[in-house]
Amino acid sequence: MFTARRWWERFGLQLSLLVLVVGGTLVVRQTQGELLVELYDGITRPFEVFHKQPNQEAYLKDAKVQELQAKIVELESQNKNLKALLKYVEKEPKNLPTIPARVVGRSADNWWQQVTLNRGSLRGVKEGYIVKAEGGLVGLIDSVTSNTSRVLLISDMNSRVGVNISRTGAKGILRGDGSADAILEFYEKVPNAKPGDVVSTSTYSSKFPSGVPIGKIKSLDLKRLPASVAIIELFPPIRSLDWVTVNAKPKNPAPKK
Amino acid sequence: MKIPKFWVRKKQTSQQPPSRRKKPKKPIKPLSRWHPRVRQMTDSGVIAVSVLLCLFLLPTRFPGMELLGIGANWLLIWVVAWSVKRSALQGAFAGIILGLLQDAMTSPQPTHALSLGLVGFLIGLFQKQRFIQEDFISIALIVFLMAILSDTIFALQMIAMNIASSDVVWAYYKKVTLASAILSSLWAPVVYYPLNRWWQQLKLAEQSS
Repeated sequence: MFTARRWWERFGLQLSLLVLVVGGTLVVRQTQGELLVELYDGITRPFEVFHKQPNQEAYLKDAKVQELQAKIVELESQNKNLKALLKYVEKEPKNLPTIPARVVGRSADNWWQQVTLNRGSLRGVKEGYIVKAEGGLVGLIDSVTSNTSRVLLISDMNSRVGVNISRTGAKGILRGDGSADAILEFYEKVPNAKPGDVVSTSTYSSKFPSGVPIGKIKSLDLKRLPASVAIIELFPPIRSLDWVTVNAKPKNPAPKK
Repeated sequence: MKIPKFWVRKKQTSQQPPSRRKKPKKPIKPLSRWHPRVRQMTDSGVIAVSVLLCLFLLPTRFPGMELLGIGANWLLIWVVAWSVKRSALQGAFAGIILGLLQDAMTSPQPTHALSLGLVGFLIGLFQKQRFIQEDFISIALIVFLMAILSDTIFALQMIAMNIASSDVVWAYYKKVTLASAILSSLWAPVVYYPLNRWWQQLKLAEQSS
């Protein structure tokens, strides 16, 4: 009894402190670091003025042109489809709200490709919303706090996007590899695609609206097993994102008769 | 070693309560005269603030802080600075706690607590008095090796949890590990030096009082 009390007197404070710290950390982890991210936002907000100004106007212009070209290709192929099927059902509803936001932080670890935005649930951002930048699709909102939101970029290894080749309609899955390029795994062994083709989100994708441009094919590897693989050069400047827009999640409307 | 003066003054102004700011000239004497409780609380304050600072450095990329788009692993540097003079258990717990915090900043699966905890444990385990001299070079070297170790563990975790296929992970691992290790070891003194100096002073003050 006495020794136990002595022991408690000696180590009690340390032990309870340890329990307190571990408990606190677990709470922080369970809430996805809400407190931390909010605090980070509060601290960095005054410094946002010093962030680099968009001095890459030429690049942005180029990206914009590429986006428009991609859209034209997409529209042409869509138009052809429309002519073929007279009863075309508009998939993407119009007038979805878009929220402009700024990137205030990159990923907190080298293995994840994430960015933190300075708009959160107070401005109407919700989990699963689509994030676009100049050039096309950038990622998906992963978690939201009241003033910030975290985006999982399409260049992350976990990210999977259903895409198709706008020109021919060949389908595949795009996954990131942590760089400015991404990898497209085709469903077919011999896909109808060639370098330079524009890649955009597929109509079958449930997470993303269809027809959002992503990038173009840089090179093709047709010998890869089990299916062919292409390297995709992403249009948006994933490495140096500054301003992005957050768009509401697409709802797939029931086809009208 | 002329640089220490600068660091001492900076720390005194930033980490002491405002009432003590008047006497920055003699940094050691007042510390030993402090009430032990106050000293302990200041120590906890220093620990909390430095951890928070490292945590907030993770998502920021100031110019010069990234190499090929890869940033330094500030929490790893902190864990190394902490466990160099402490026991294996203390190092492991610090690593686990900081790993959980990093999970909160990124994504909870797979956890960073395992790799950072192991790093803290291993450094605590070494017979440091024999092998390591307390200078920047050896600290940078430890950080370099530990960064490689923690990235390896994390890559294995990713493969084990089937988050990405192994060839993708290893291709990325090759790209990320060296850059991260080099950058972390270069930035290590920035975290290690002030913290180590503070803990040294604290120890001296405790012995003398």
